[in-house]
Amino acid sequence: MRLTAAAGVATGAVAIALYPLFSGGAWFWSSLGVILVVTGAGLLAGRYTMPNWLVPPLQLLAVLIFLTAAFAREQAWGVLVPTVSSVRALGGLLATGFADIQRYAAPVPPNPGIVLLTCGGVGLIAIVVDLLAVRMRRAALAGLPLLTLFTVPAAVIADPINWLAFIIAAAGYLGLLAADGRERISHWGRAVLVRRAPSFVAPRPSDAEAGTLRMSGKRIGFAAVALAVLVPALLPALEPDPLFGFGVGNGRGRGGNSISVSNPMVSMRGLLSLPENSTVLSYTSSDGLSRYLRTYALDIFDGEQWTMSDPHGRPEDRTSEGPLPAPPGLAPATPVTRATTTIAVSEDVRGMSFLPLPYPAGRVDIEGDWRSDRDTLMVFSARETAEGMTYRVTTAEPSPTAEALRAAGPPPASVGERYLRLPPGLPREVRALARRVTKDDAGPYEKAIQLQEFFTKEGGFTYSLATRGHTGSALADFLLRSRTGYCEQFAASMAVLARVLGIPARVAIGYTGGTNVSGVWQVRAHDSHAWPELYFEGTGWLRFEPTPAGSAGQGTASVPVYTRPQVTTDGSDGPDSTPDTGSSGTDTPRDPSARSRDDRTLQRDLTGVPVAVDEGVPVAAWIGLGLLAVLLVALVPAALRWELRARRRRSLSRGPSGAPGGPSGVPGGPSAPAPAGAAEVRAGRGAPEGAVSAAWAELDDALCDYGMGRLPSESPRALAGRLAGQHGFDADEAAALTRIATLVERMMFARTPGETGPLREDLRLVRRALAARVTRGRRIRAVLLPPSTLLRMRRAGGRLLEATERLEGARLRLTARLDGLTGGRLTGRV
Amino acid sequence: MAVTHDVSPRLDELVVTAQRIHQAIESVIEGKGDVVRLTLTVLLAEGHLLIEDVPGVGKTMLAKALARSIDCPVRRIQFTPDLLPSDITGVSAYNQQTREFEFKPGPVFANIVVGDEINRASPKTQSALLECMEERQVTVDGSTYVLEGPFMVIATQNPIEMEGTYPLPEAQRDRFTARIAMGYPEAGAELEMLDVHGAASPLDKLEPVATTAEVRALIDAVRAVYVSQPVKKYAVDLVTATRTSPDLRLGASPRSTLQLVRAARAHAALSGRDYVIPDDLQELSVPVLAHRLLPSVEAQGQRRMPEQVVAELVRRVPVPEAPAK
Repeated sequence: MRLTAAAGVATGAVAIALYPLFSGGAWFWSSLGVILVVTGAGLLAGRYTMPNWLVPPLQLLAVLIFLTAAFAREQAWGVLVPTVSSVRALGGLLATGFADIQRYAAPVPPNPGIVLLTCGGVGLIAIVVDLLAVRMRRAALAGLPLLTLFTVPAAVIADPINWLAFIIAAAGYLGLLAADGRERISHWGRAVLVRRAPSFVAPRPSDAEAGTLRMSGKRIGFAAVALAVLVPALLPALEPDPLFGFGVGNGRGRGGNSISVSNPMVSMRGLLSLPENSTVLSYTSSDGLSRYLRTYALDIFDGEQWTMSDPHGRPEDRTSEGPLPAPPGLAPATPVTRATTTIAVSEDVRGMSFLPLPYPAGRVDIEGDWRSDRDTLMVFSARETAEGMTYRVTTAEPSPTAEALRAAGPPPASVGERYLRLPPGLPREVRALARRVTKDDAGPYEKAIQLQEFFTKEGGFTYSLATRGHTGSALADFLLRSRTGYCEQFAASMAVLARVLGIPARVAIGYTGGTNVSGVWQVRAHDSHAWPELYFEGTGWLRFEPTPAGSAGQGTASVPVYTRPQVTTDGSDGPDSTPDTGSSGTDTPRDPSARSRDDRTLQRDLTGVPVAVDEGVPVAAWIGLGLLAVLLVALVPAALRWELRARRRRSLSRGPSGAPGGPSGVPGGPSAPAPAGAAEVRAGRGAPEGAVSAAWAELDDALCDYGMGRLPSESPRALAGRLAGQHGFDADEAAALTRIATLVERMMFARTPGETGPLREDLRLVRRALAARVTRGRRIRAVLLPPSTLLRMRRAGGRLLEATERLEGARLRLTARLDGLTGGRLTGRV
Repeated sequence: MAVTHDVSPRLDELVVTAQRIHQAIESVIEGKGDVVRLTLTVLLAEGHLLIEDVPGVGKTMLAKALARSIDCPVRRIQFTPDLLPSDITGVSAYNQQTREFEFKPGPVFANIVVGDEINRASPKTQSALLECMEERQVTVDGSTYVLEGPFMVIATQNPIEMEGTYPLPEAQRDRFTARIAMGYPEAGAELEMLDVHGAASPLDKLEPVATTAEVRALIDAVRAVYVSQPVKKYAVDLVTATRTSPDLRLGASPRSTLQLVRAARAHAALSGRDYVIPDDLQELSVPVLAHRLLPSVEAQGQRRMPEQVVAELVRRVPVPEAPAK
């Protein structure tokens, strides 16, 4: 009974960790409902002692009824009873849910399909947990399905999991374990009778034995969770934990049939098909022209998809440190067009950690710690996001002549090695196609133009968002058979074909130039775009545009001026282009002299892009820092001890050399008590008492540190005698020790505190004498890990535990009293 | 004692006088410094002493030596089974001449009374003496006669296993401030004893070294010794520990607490200190407390004597800690 409830609570607690996957809370209430249904079914089964094997099917049935009632009410018979059509409706909804999940990046909208999918999943997990923990009595194993549920957000979301969510989930699991343990203990045996209980109504089984065990269990669990949360926070080396760092940076993992929601490609498709076309950013440029704004450069093609190798943001490459590194491959002789673009990112954008920038960016003026990757000139941040920010970019776009491009030499080895790599399993037909559509004798530049022509004109490609898949087979399918796709397929395919032909290529993800609204370029979600960038020695990376533009294609796409066949013939590439005031309806750029004028772009930021930022500190240094931190923590007792000793030494020097009082204090015969005089003497010398106390406490701690210890029943005098005898003190040392002991004795027990001698010197002498009689290891330990301080810390900890125990005890007493009250009432009624 | 240099001048006189008595006794009883010291402690604490040991180890000699070194009236009572209470307290006899009853003081009217083999007398006689010890007065036929101070009873007794003894009830044992065992002398001391005692009894040569007035002054000085609050607390702790110990059937009485502190005062004064330290109490715990306690059945089974139990408690009860600053 208790266990069943605990299983439900645990599932619910872990399910809370799913929250970052969704926008809105609708999913949670539905999931809660499913968990309640599963738990309720389990409780009923327990109540009627059903066989264990029957419970999971029963729970499945319950979940089906619940889902029917929640999602396919119209088709059901009497709201609740599933019918064929209701099951069909659920199936349809599930399919939609799967499709939606593939389309949307987290946080996903609470579409019925997605919520249904979530509820179903949570319900299944709840059933498995119940099966393991309650039916099979393997509560620890139930952690596995819970962990599965918990890793879903960890795998999908780039941000580290919220610690609070972790604590809740851990508490849920611990609660399950505790309930299991309690159930077990209560089976060991129970108190036969509690004689003093006011009645026999509720002889709580084995509460007495279970109480202490439960207490220690709680302590251990609490400590473990606290450690799990605090230690990573305290150790800086663990902070950029790759475990929580799934996302673009690590996206080269094979997709398999898992859904990599935060892959830039997938996110982009989601953006393109969003029902509402919200504004992502707006910008103005110094020459009034529109520009493609690139966010990512994907350089790895693994046969299935394009992904990005980890960008490196060195501290010296901060945007605040000056202009970005020179664009790779751009020769100084190549003419460039300079422009400044001011970009304002919308407030509604979430998690934009890579900046959309025109390529190649020279100087980026933005607040915060943004860094550029030297090779790709991507600008990103591991800490900041760009929503609501405004930043200015200066660009120096190369304006190459066709001749220059034609005359471009072979790429350097480093570029070729990285940007020509193709997976071995690339279909032979694709390679053949690449050679077929280009002329054999043409140079790289002509071949690139021919490829673009192939995609935009000759190949008979159709633009459609409806296609799905960007896998290897999808690539061949797109190129050889369907020839239907959208910018992603076009860009990816052209980049692949270019690599086949020996032209270094990569896929850029970002936004087209957008739409001009009264002088400001508006970039919306539907302007998200992908395009290939090809490398030409001397010019660097150049944008190509294989995706059809206009109403039958990507609305705001535009073909770069240097790729247009006309341009190749007349070779003019005047930088003066007329701004496109048109809307998104333009098919292809009409003005051959326009450079990037028709770029309209828009893209939206991609969700969660966690990148392991190179802080300029090597791993070894991180480890060193971590060790240092551990060391510092380990040295805390030593520091405390040192501080205490210093404080005592100060009080020693504050109250030295007391008045001559002491022995001559009280005159007269043996029968003269003279307490008044004594009081005066005592009052006259307050300070030495502090000094004596300090000396004594210090001596005590020193003994503890050196492992000599002191019996609680040993008086100062006895201690002095024992130490001097046991350790063979010489006369001076023994005398010093005796002086200290006598002072303490007088301070504590006599009327007059007596004369304070050279306390400080005595103490030093005794300390040295003690230290000389222990091993070197002891001495080192006394300094580094002083037992006296450790003891003190342990006592403090013990007091803390006692306090919590008292609280717990009070709580238990209260419950007992309440129980007693209820019990009494019951018996009274009987 | 490791530390004895803290002699207060006020107590100088006391220490010197006590030292004189000490030496005088030691000239008779060789090698029993601790016993002599404890005897002096009890004298200065206005208590009574119970010496328990087998016959012939010098119990009576000790008592006599103490009595003789102080110039004061000393009476000795040999307890026998037929001794009557009036033999101790004295009787009222009818005087034919004056036609009145006249009180004839018994041997208890002295400063130091030596009760030899006290456990040989009948309980009734024992209790007569013990009442005098507690009340320091004698009541015969309705008249009360006060005993002059100092008044100290030194009783000797044979171990209770010996024949012809009436064991002292615990209520009466409680009246004695301390109980000591003489123990056999060491070989060297015994040898020396043969030499000295061979010719004549050294007791005969013993001259008084202190007067009654001096002893009274000493007692007054002891009363002025300071007992700090922590030490009082420690004494209570020690006594309480005997009451809660599972090894003891009967713990020490509140009277024993009083006597313990009083004895500790004397002990401190004899060391030349005008304040009591826990060490005084520790040293006196066994002689002052052990004879009042009854071991539990378990402790008896393990042959653990109350002396051992008390010594263990002393090792366990924490001494007052210095105030933390």
